Amino acid sequence: MDAVVSRWSQNLTLILLGGAVVWISAFTTSYLNYVKAGFQPFLIAAGVIVAALGVLGLVRRPAAHEHAPRVAWLMTLPVFAIVLIAPPALGSFAASRSQRPPEPPANAEYDPISAAGGPADMKIAEFLARAFGDKKKSLTGKSVRLTGFVTPSKKKGQWYVTRMSIACCAADGYALQVAVLGAPAPKADSWVEVTGTWVPPKWKKLPSGMVFAEIAAAHVQPIKPPSEPYE
Amino acid sequence: MHSAWADDSDIPPDTWGRRPRTRRFSLPWAFLVVIALLVVGRFVLSPHLTAPALQTWATIFVAICVQALPFLVFGVTLSAAIAAFVPPSFWTRALPKRPMAAVPVAGMAGAVLPGCECASVPVASGLMARGVTPSAALAFLLAAPAINPVVMVATVVAFPNEPMMAVARFGASLVVAVLAGWIWLRFGRTSWIRVPEHRHEGSKVTAFLSAMRHDLLHAGGFLVVGGMAAATLNVVVPREWLDSVAGVPWLAVLTLALLAVLLSICSEADAFVAASMGGFSPTAKLAFLVVGPMVDLKLIALQIGTFGKAFALRFVPLTFTLAVLVSALMGWMLL
Repeated sequence: MDAVVSRWSQNLTLILLGGAVVWISAFTTSYLNYVKAGFQPFLIAAGVIVAALGVLGLVRRPAAHEHAPRVAWLMTLPVFAIVLIAPPALGSFAASRSQRPPEPPANAEYDPISAAGGPADMKIAEFLARAFGDKKKSLTGKSVRLTGFVTPSKKKGQWYVTRMSIACCAADGYALQVAVLGAPAPKADSWVEVTGTWVPPKWKKLPSGMVFAEIAAAHVQPIKPPSEPYE
Repeated sequence: MHSAWADDSDIPPDTWGRRPRTRRFSLPWAFLVVIALLVVGRFVLSPHLTAPALQTWATIFVAICVQALPFLVFGVTLSAAIAAFVPPSFWTRALPKRPMAAVPVAGMAGAVLPGCECASVPVASGLMARGVTPSAALAFLLAAPAINPVVMVATVVAFPNEPMMAVARFGASLVVAVLAGWIWLRFGRTSWIRVPEHRHEGSKVTAFLSAMRHDLLHAGGFLVVGGMAAATLNVVVPREWLDSVAGVPWLAVLTLALLAVLLSICSEADAFVAASMGGFSPTAKLAFLVVGPMVDLKLIALQIGTFGKAFALRFVPLTFTLAVLVSALMGWMLL
């Protein structure tokens, strides 16, 4: 019967897959496009074990029947994706199709923002939390700097500075977005630092549907993509 | 080995007098084709594979595979170690003699055997072959992939803000496994199950390595299928459509239960996929987590292959129905 994968092909497939995982996690930072940074040691260990299993399978004399089903060939597909497509971090395509992020806690208390030393660097998640859930409205009038990639908006005269947030891997990512006003839109997916001030919303109660926090941009600085793309 | 001694016929085995097969090395052609495709594709195709939809698909696909691999490797290693180094007689001694009592004990035993569903099918058939009551082995088959420590840790990690999810998953899966075992004990017939024979060859280390490789190649291949399906779903299905389904409670539970069957994601990775189903209620996600390790396309295929069609035809609908009902109830109580 030919519906099996030969011993050599089985073991070489394991070596290929294990090698690819070790490559992306130990020798490059591209694993950060897929998972959280904390997974690195586990990825390396898993890749080494898979590759070692393949090597042992080639070196040792096989047991009487060692067959694998055709489905084992599919294990080469992630390697194809890594080599041929080199999947980048989730960008504006994913962001525009993302689920809405979980709502920030209402009426929470936040530390005041220090105005000393120029604009305060802030994560987009924190900006959103302060914009929507801060009792004291501590963002008011403060100059802050947000880092993210550019997602075009359907509304005229604005675009979004975006960061994807992942809990574990890119499959569970959702977009954190702040609408940028008063600056021409840079190229989609390019990375920027947006310095500006919060625009308080005009509505009193959070309306249903998609609403965005807004920032009035004073300065937009193009930057290189960070090695850790997710928040 | 044993049968060679017990064999008292005078006729020499038919392998005698044959020329021993020469072990000839043949090139792994298929693999060389894979390498050639990789190298050529890198230079010819890569510049054209830049569509955002394709890239997003590939990112999510690779993410699911890469994320699941450490869990898969860990599970396969432990399950191979137990299969190779724990003597089969241990299981027969450890279980109560009365089948009614053996079912819940076997279900609980699932909590200590790490492995995904692909590993538990061969283990369960091995238990049956060694004289364990089929219904007890089936309770083990259902419980082991869902409530073992690796899966529990994965569930806790995937739902950092919902600690009750892991508790509810443990409870619901165990209840379904025990109920299915008891129902099979009451109504099941021996003729429905084909109990396969198991043989062990070679040293323990050889058995360990080949069990590990076997499980990894099986489960890994199916994991890739699940990753592709999940990535496709992520990119192709409009959010509004999923959101509209997610709004209706019973429809949401049924949808994710069916999705669990179709996606066929390894139980060691399914919590991460469930966590990404943003708009759905916790109960619907629980149904996804309870149904997935018990009923999915690759499991149905494995069960037909191991126990026969007559078995799968009855067992699959039974477990699916139980899993949906129990997780709806458990989600209503706990989540």
